[in-house]
Amino acid sequence: MTTLKYSSQAVSRLYFLGAMGLFLGQILFGVALGLQYLVGDLLFPAIPFNIARMVHTNLLIVWLLMGFMGAAYYMIPEEAETELYSPKLAVILFWTFLGAGALTILGYLLVPYATLAAATGNDWLATMGREFLEQPLPTKVGIVIVCLGFMFNISMTVLKGRKTAISMVLLLGLWGLTLLFLFSFVNPSNLVRDKMYWWFVVHLWVEGTWELILGAILAYLLVKTTGVDREVIDKWLYLIVTFALVTGILGTGHHFYFIGLPGYWQWIGSVFSALEPIPFFMMTLFAFNMVQRRKREHPNQAAVLWTVGCAVMGFLGAGLWGFIHTLSPVNYYTHGSQITAAHGHLAFYGAYVMVVIAMISYAMPILRGRECNPRRAQSVEMWSFWVMTIGMAVMVLALTGAGILQVWLQRIPTEGAMGFMQTQDQLRFFYWVRLGGGVAFLIGLLMWLGSFFVTAGEDEEPVGALARA
Amino acid sequence: MKKLQRLDLVGLGLLLATALTWAVGESGWLRSAGSASATLILVLALVKGAGIALDFMELREAPQLWRWFVLGWLVAVVGLIAAVRVLAGG
Amino acid sequence: MATARAAQQHGRLPFPKMNPPSSLPAASPAPELRGDLAMWLLIGIEMLTFGLMFVVFAVARTREPAVFAAGQAVLDLSAGALNTAVLLAGSWAVARGVHALRAGHTRGGAAGLAGGALCGLFFLGSKALEYAGLPGGEQDLSENTFFLLYFMLTGFHVMHVLAALLMLATLAWLARDGRWSRGDAHAPETVAAFWHMVDLMWIVLFPLVYVLR
Repeated sequence: MTTLKYSSQAVSRLYFLGAMGLFLGQILFGVALGLQYLVGDLLFPAIPFNIARMVHTNLLIVWLLMGFMGAAYYMIPEEAETELYSPKLAVILFWTFLGAGALTILGYLLVPYATLAAATGNDWLATMGREFLEQPLPTKVGIVIVCLGFMFNISMTVLKGRKTAISMVLLLGLWGLTLLFLFSFVNPSNLVRDKMYWWFVVHLWVEGTWELILGAILAYLLVKTTGVDREVIDKWLYLIVTFALVTGILGTGHHFYFIGLPGYWQWIGSVFSALEPIPFFMMTLFAFNMVQRRKREHPNQAAVLWTVGCAVMGFLGAGLWGFIHTLSPVNYYTHGSQITAAHGHLAFYGAYVMVVIAMISYAMPILRGRECNPRRAQSVEMWSFWVMTIGMAVMVLALTGAGILQVWLQRIPTEGAMGFMQTQDQLRFFYWVRLGGGVAFLIGLLMWLGSFFVTAGEDEEPVGALARA
Repeated sequence: MKKLQRLDLVGLGLLLATALTWAVGESGWLRSAGSASATLILVLALVKGAGIALDFMELREAPQLWRWFVLGWLVAVVGLIAAVRVLAGG
Repeated sequence: MATARAAQQHGRLPFPKMNPPSSLPAASPAPELRGDLAMWLLIGIEMLTFGLMFVVFAVARTREPAVFAAGQAVLDLSAGALNTAVLLAGSWAVARGVHALRAGHTRGGAAGLAGGALCGLFFLGSKALEYAGLPGGEQDLSENTFFLLYFMLTGFHVMHVLAALLMLATLAWLARDGRWSRGDAHAPETVAAFWHMVDLMWIVLFPLVYVLR
């Protein structure tokens, strides 16, 4: 029976379960959206496309945040070599977060958005109506409170314990995440400035502070599963996050090309964002290198697969697919097209979805009292990795094709360019393929969730310090 | 002491190359002739860069990888600048 | 590696001397990268960034030759050349300083590093005068493509000169107690590598922006 090194790590289980549940919800809505692309009035007027989309993206963000929080609650006590400052606070915050999130989603689905806005004080301080930041004011305030409470809890834990490179980088990333969210309350009436501040949240999250979180979690998983010297891993981590910040901060400029900001951003944004793939490439090298130099064969091979897979897919999705449309002369034509959607999906999946899955894959067995899942369960889990990843790959390739055709028909011609709706009609084939990929992804997700319930085969040897499930 | 003297000679050479670059710039040769003068300027930049890389950065005695990275960077960047000029008809 | 360095400190090659140096070439010690590997990786990404900007500048110039020619005409070529000389002098001082520290000479070493920092300071002052001396109305980043890229390149470079000189000055101050003249000059070598990179970037920047048309 494997027990947790620190009993307060157990609070992370709540967060992981919450994350997994919301992940499932997100993908169900995702498949619905994929269908709505093809059957335009599907679910109309009960759940119009824009509402379904809001639910899909908001669920993604909330479950990823829950995943990060769970990861932090699991990692920090072990890294700091001391119990969590307040497990009770962590539990209270979880239910607060989950409750607020659920209420918000219900609000989106059951109440007309304008009514929701009027009822929740949007007239007093307008923060609604922007992509990913559609939450009513009380929800936004709730997120700040939950995040601050969470940051207080883990910061106090680190302060009273050992400080490691991993925990310091994780803290830095999470503090950055929390403070940058405050920009979601800044909503100037000037549309140009409004969009500029919006990117302070979105870009500096996913191409800034979240990369620190990603690096720290990957480093932690590599320490645990490969047994490579911490010093080696620490040095890699510092380099990766340095490169991420050096390229990512001024790289924000790649969102400032055509929104009304001065033209020099086209130059600054292009140069610096062109280099943004480098930290992701380093993460790939890092993961492969550490696994090659491993000093042990960790029994949880599924977790190792997710970890290395995350580094690779993150590089492909964020690095490569990001690079293809980051230069301003290219972005001029591809801005806001299906290319953008392709990049967004592969990047989020590869970098952030997979790292949370990897963390859960590693930690959940231990939280349930064993070093790893039974061999049969791991087998199902590893299959789910391939089904999800290939499903996503199909989606992204389809959307890339759709995007290329869209740009060709709608953006490039200097005269006689096809209009938006007419172009969409030409893309239906790609949307069907994407839907197929999406359904495969859902199946993969169900497989992954199911793998936690797969018991050991009768003939199986116990793996590690395994208790028969 | 040999190593230090080499450093001084390299330093002197670099200053002379700079003076030459400046002289070409001042002379107006570039305005009239174009490519011969430009080539000289770029070659001088390459040579100066190599001096800094090999002697000041001590890459001469460093592992090959880094020596070739820095020298390669010099060749690539100067080469690309030259290529861009040629392609534009300069 | 450690024995080679120890041998170097005592002025000996890490091999027994068999013949007088004039008749046989000295056996070469194992290749060694001077300065921390982490710094070299940083140098690598800096070089990529600057290199990218240089090529961008060259391409932009071919698209607007008149604008670039007009812009270049108001730049002070002599100041640029002087700046080049100053940075080179700084590099020489820093290189001499590092060698001195390795040979155990504390004062010479600290002086070399300080000299480099001073050259950096001179460079910054000269740059400030240069920026200020540009004809009024053309000092804006968005005036035209030439000035946009001119300020981007030189501004980015200036920030690196500042960083380098601060590091050199700090190390020059700390070196006075002899901590790096006892056989381990790793920290000064690391900072020196960064300074040399900054100099190297200017070596390309100066002809590209100030001289070539």
